[in-house]
Amino acid sequence: MNVYAPILVLGIIAAAFAVLSVGIAPFTGPKRYNRAKLDSYECGIEPTPQPAGGGRVSVKYFITAMLFIVFDIEIIFLYPFAVAFDQLGWFGLIEMVIFIGTVFVAYAYVWRRGGLEWD
Amino acid sequence: MSLVWPLLLSCALFGIGLYGVLARRNAILMLIGVELMLNAVNLNLVAFDAWWGDALRSGQSLTLFMIAVAAAEIGLGLAIVLGLFRATGSADVDLAVVDTDEQADGAR
Amino acid sequence: MTALTGAVLAQNALSAADLPQIGAPAIEYGTLSPVLAITATALIGVLVEAGAPRRARFGLQSAVAIVGILAALAATVWVSIHDLGKVSFEGTDLLARGKTVAEGALVVDGPTVFLWGLLLVFALVSMLMFAERGLEGGLSGFTGQAAVAPGGAGEREATMAGIEHTEIFPLAMFALLGMMVFPASNDLLTMFVALEVLSLPLYLLCGLARRRRLLSQEAAVKYFLLGAFSSAFFLYGIALVYGYSGSFTLAAIDTAVSNQIAGQNLLLAGMALISVGLLFKVSAVPFQAWTPDVYQGAPTAVTAFMAAGTKVAAFGALLRVFFVGFGGAQWDWRPLMMIVAVLTMVVGAVVLIRQTDVKRMLAYSAIAHSGFILTAFAGAYEGSAGTATITSVSAVMFYLAVYGFSTIGAFAIATLVRDGGGEVGHLARWAGLGRESPVLAGVFALFMLSFAGIPLTAGFMGKWTVFSAAWSGYAWPLVVAGVLTSAVAAYFYVRVIVLMFFADPEGDGPTVAVPSVMTSAVIAVTAAVTIVLGIVPGPVLDLAQNAGTFVR
Repeated sequence: MNVYAPILVLGIIAAAFAVLSVGIAPFTGPKRYNRAKLDSYECGIEPTPQPAGGGRVSVKYFITAMLFIVFDIEIIFLYPFAVAFDQLGWFGLIEMVIFIGTVFVAYAYVWRRGGLEWD
Repeated sequence: MSLVWPLLLSCALFGIGLYGVLARRNAILMLIGVELMLNAVNLNLVAFDAWWGDALRSGQSLTLFMIAVAAAEIGLGLAIVLGLFRATGSADVDLAVVDTDEQADGAR
Repeated sequence: MTALTGAVLAQNALSAADLPQIGAPAIEYGTLSPVLAITATALIGVLVEAGAPRRARFGLQSAVAIVGILAALAATVWVSIHDLGKVSFEGTDLLARGKTVAEGALVVDGPTVFLWGLLLVFALVSMLMFAERGLEGGLSGFTGQAAVAPGGAGEREATMAGIEHTEIFPLAMFALLGMMVFPASNDLLTMFVALEVLSLPLYLLCGLARRRRLLSQEAAVKYFLLGAFSSAFFLYGIALVYGYSGSFTLAAIDTAVSNQIAGQNLLLAGMALISVGLLFKVSAVPFQAWTPDVYQGAPTAVTAFMAAGTKVAAFGALLRVFFVGFGGAQWDWRPLMMIVAVLTMVVGAVVLIRQTDVKRMLAYSAIAHSGFILTAFAGAYEGSAGTATITSVSAVMFYLAVYGFSTIGAFAIATLVRDGGGEVGHLARWAGLGRESPVLAGVFALFMLSFAGIPLTAGFMGKWTVFSAAWSGYAWPLVVAGVLTSAVAAYFYVRVIVLMFFADPEGDGPTVAVPSVMTSAVIAVTAAVTIVLGIVPGPVLDLAQNAGTFVR
């Protein structure tokens, strides 16, 4: 259990920081409300118009979400590299650059063909 | 901890996923069933990896690959199902699809 | 706080010492050059898609794909000379030639190189069919805009503007990459990744037909769901075998199986589940249900590529896993595989008789042929020193060569028989094709005779080799079943020939489209190979036999 004590401490510090920041904000911050502030929050973009009573989520999210998932997941292969990068030396670094390069090939395709444009 | 418990849990997960694929007729829900089955395998692999004390960590490596492949698979699968949904207005796999003459012609 | 940090560091130092020392792995780039060439081709294809102007894309993409495949073929020849050692053509050589590469992830041996060559040639021929634009008025046989609704205004606009999906070429290259790695993989991890790399692009390609798009999309959904389902079983099997043996490498699994280190239940369950995944890919009964629907719905060029390529890759992997990994347990799996082989032959041949659609007919034919190949597999004859009897591995490889060429040729002809609404699927509408175009009907008849296994066609030599291997492995009931089902299937194939040449056409009869040089070349090459392999099978048979056995 001793091994996990630092992680526990880190968790406590992080939780305390979060609670403290949120708790202290109403007392210290200025309060100036406007329309944009009171609007529903949607990833910092203009809220997508929806019919009354909910309705289907716009399919525009689909491509963005899927691209995010696929590129996000590629990071998973960096973890084993991060554990052993010192032992792998130059070989590991070059292989990783090649790996990232192949991911960027896909990125170039998505970018050039308009996969990242919202409208 | 005994090896039996994770294996039983993974068996149960696999079974639930299997039931989901066989019983549901909505393509998306079937996809969720398949994902459940894949995650059951992940659990199994990690459990066996810990049990063997595998120095190469091969079980965990396959788990990482499976997570990545499952993400690719789900992206592709949703795209295919979305295509069908756009064409028919439904993601029901039992729906008998018949091309109308116009569609069969392709756009000439 | 300092005490805490000190404890953590000590802990870290301890665990770092526990870790195995992982040095940089040795990668034999030269031996892997065919695979690397195809990888590069696929990536270049994606970059071309990103950068090249729309007008230039189709020509550029097809050129990239074809040049890449030719480069990989040249590399394969180089590998076979450089890494396999000298091939002696004196009698059967049972040596396992070749080596494991990339730290044992892949193995490049005789069978691998033979299957690579086969896959690359099939891919080359299929790419010519992909690139055919003479049949749809200057557009390819793939949908112009996959994202718009079939039959809608968006589709018409795309067609008017001449928009085409040129992604088909990189996708096919990725599938080819998976196909090449699949039979070469020496551990189950690589095999799984290869399986997915081969499957995912094919799922997508199936849904891209220009005509009858709903049928095509339905095929893609079915293939995807069933494929993902079967790969989940395959993975569960891998997990159980890993639990049994503690390793993914086939050699380590073989050691564990031979020493029977633990209870057999894990192994038996694992083997059964792994075989589900592999038998699904070769469309063996009872995992064949997807085949007719997918073969019918997919664009015909994709069907040809898939029918030939997937079968080569999946049978290569099936043989390697079961002969190398599970060789010690063959008395457990052989009886089951014999049952599967008989079922596959019987269901394929009997249901074939009832077919009325050309592509579905070829799908059931594919199932029946999987059954014939499974006879050699279930025979599991590994040869004995000093005799020239053909081994199971060689027989399967030769049959794959024979079957692949005939089936690509048959699908190529299916793209040419058309009416106003695209390809004519219904067999009744093929009546009188012999009068419309004697040459085309004659070539199709040749493929039918080859499928039936009539002497002097390649099909006969293929059947002879697989039955001979099964016989040597004391699987004579399979040979009997194989001959009987061949006779049943032959009845159907002959009926198709009679229909084409002696029946009166229905209404106006079908028209035969005039293809560009690409499809013509495909048909000419496949027909020539079918005849040549039937009359002088020697060289290719020698090549298959001299490929030797799997490196363990």
